[in-house]
Amino acid sequence: MKVLGAAAAVAASAGLIGAYIALGGTSYRPAPVADPCAHRPWRAPSGVAETLEQVALSTADGAACALGVSREDLVLALAGRDDLSRFAAAHHVSQDDAERAIPDGLFRAVEDARAAGAIDGGLAGTLETIARHFPIGLVLDVLQGASRLIPG
Amino acid sequence: MALADSSVVTLALPDMLRRFDVSITTVAWVLTAYNIVLAAAAVPAAHLARRQPAVVCAAGLIVFSVASLACGLAPSFAVLLAGRCVQAAGGAAVVAAALDLLSAVSASESDAAHTWAAAGVIGAALGPAAGGVLTQLLGWESIFFVQAPLLLAPLAALPALRSCRGASATSGRPHVAANLALLFASAALSAALFLLVILLVNGWNLHPAVAGVVATVMPAAAITVARRSRAPGGTAFRAGTGLLLTAGGLASLGVLPHAGWTWTVPPQLLVGAGLGLTIGALTDQALRGRSPQAVHGGWTIASRHAGVVLGLLLLTPLFSHQLDRNEAEAKRAGAAILLDSRLPPLDKLRVAQEVLRSIDRANGRLPDVRAPLEGRFGGPAGTEYRRVAGSLQDQLERAVTDAFGWPFLLASALALCGLSAVAVGRRDPAL
Repeated sequence: MKVLGAAAAVAASAGLIGAYIALGGTSYRPAPVADPCAHRPWRAPSGVAETLEQVALSTADGAACALGVSREDLVLALAGRDDLSRFAAAHHVSQDDAERAIPDGLFRAVEDARAAGAIDGGLAGTLETIARHFPIGLVLDVLQGASRLIPG
Repeated sequence: MALADSSVVTLALPDMLRRFDVSITTVAWVLTAYNIVLAAAAVPAAHLARRQPAVVCAAGLIVFSVASLACGLAPSFAVLLAGRCVQAAGGAAVVAAALDLLSAVSASESDAAHTWAAAGVIGAALGPAAGGVLTQLLGWESIFFVQAPLLLAPLAALPALRSCRGASATSGRPHVAANLALLFASAALSAALFLLVILLVNGWNLHPAVAGVVATVMPAAAITVARRSRAPGGTAFRAGTGLLLTAGGLASLGVLPHAGWTWTVPPQLLVGAGLGLTIGALTDQALRGRSPQAVHGGWTIASRHAGVVLGLLLLTPLFSHQLDRNEAEAKRAGAAILLDSRLPPLDKLRVAQEVLRSIDRANGRLPDVRAPLEGRFGGPAGTEYRRVAGSLQDQLERAVTDAFGWPFLLASALALCGLSAVAVGRRDPAL
């Protein structure tokens, strides 16, 4: 009788654990975050806003790849000064690293845009020249302040 | 009530956390400090209670009541903690003396021990529900204000028991295996109650009163099983079976398939049934044939509350770490969902800002990210907004639920450690 009770306890426990696992109890995985260094195809943008969005996303991919972080971590870091400081400390990223990564991102965006047929070779060359000489510190400041410019 | 106090504030912890602006790890000390002092004071209080149990019980009730008022009026977290420590010292005196007093009015020492052990299980298990309802209706301070007069009521009955004396025999060695198993079973119980309540209230946004009702499944199962399992003998088997059920229920809570309180009911039934079998059986084992009962009862109280401390100290940092890690992962996953979505580009930034704001406003709870997006469900991109809102909410709910997985599995392992102690005690009865 006692052994039967213990066996019933084992069966009830194993049954419930098994049922919960079968229903997806151990299936949680965070939504996948793509490798920023891998090629990400451009969607066919319609209009200036969507083209600019694709440029921004490609820039973020390129910069994140250069820094060795995910695009999502980089974007979350730009939400505010505190987030950026936490990000820099967690990933050992200095201001110099960030300033070097932004042009890499812009080159990547130009390259992606040319590959997608969104811009021609001449415009691509001009944009690369601009990227090389752009005041990156200003870009960072603008990006960090951008969220405050958007009406809630 | 003194034993219920080890868990009664569990559902009030989120409100205390906000009131005193402290972290989850810090606020858990409201439970931990009480249990440390109760564990440390139980055996000395039992020795003291052997001479004058009615006097020690009366002194304990008064100390407990005054300390309860101090907790309710605490202007700072430090004062609240100090009040909890004094409460525990008073509680130790009450609980230790109660066993001697029960022996004086019961048919046998065994009956007294069983009533005493059952009161402990019921008190500890009903604590969260009672605390949750009071917190919801009147605020967390009311838990302490309600206790004070209730604890003074038994003083009226004590003069009749003044002549009662505890046994004067020299105290023998405690039952090591049974007390060790009690320690692990209590660690598992504290984990079950603490984690379940935090999951229901902070994780899934249930109101404390509703969470209190949901968490009542466990004590209801414990009481039902404890009443039906009073067969003499076979304590090791009863305890072992109970610990298997407890471990199984806790492991099931560690692999919940979805967020939602209904999923917690079957595991709670297992844990409750397991504890109903275990605590009574182990207390029987620890007290049987040992004298004086009050001192050995003191050892069981010390073991149980040391177990609660062990559970809280092991599980709180693990749980906090898991929650931080999963929150970061969920934010990253949420950013990926938003960036890759087909929402209008300029609106994407606005949505991201609103979602981040709703997470901040949730103040550590699970945010409702659907709410800020609902206004856009009827627009031209309504389908995409609906998809994004659903994906974001699903990510957050699953991340929060998953954060509790490893802590519940560790609690299950603690119950299995208790099973090992029972097995060792069965093989070597001298322990």
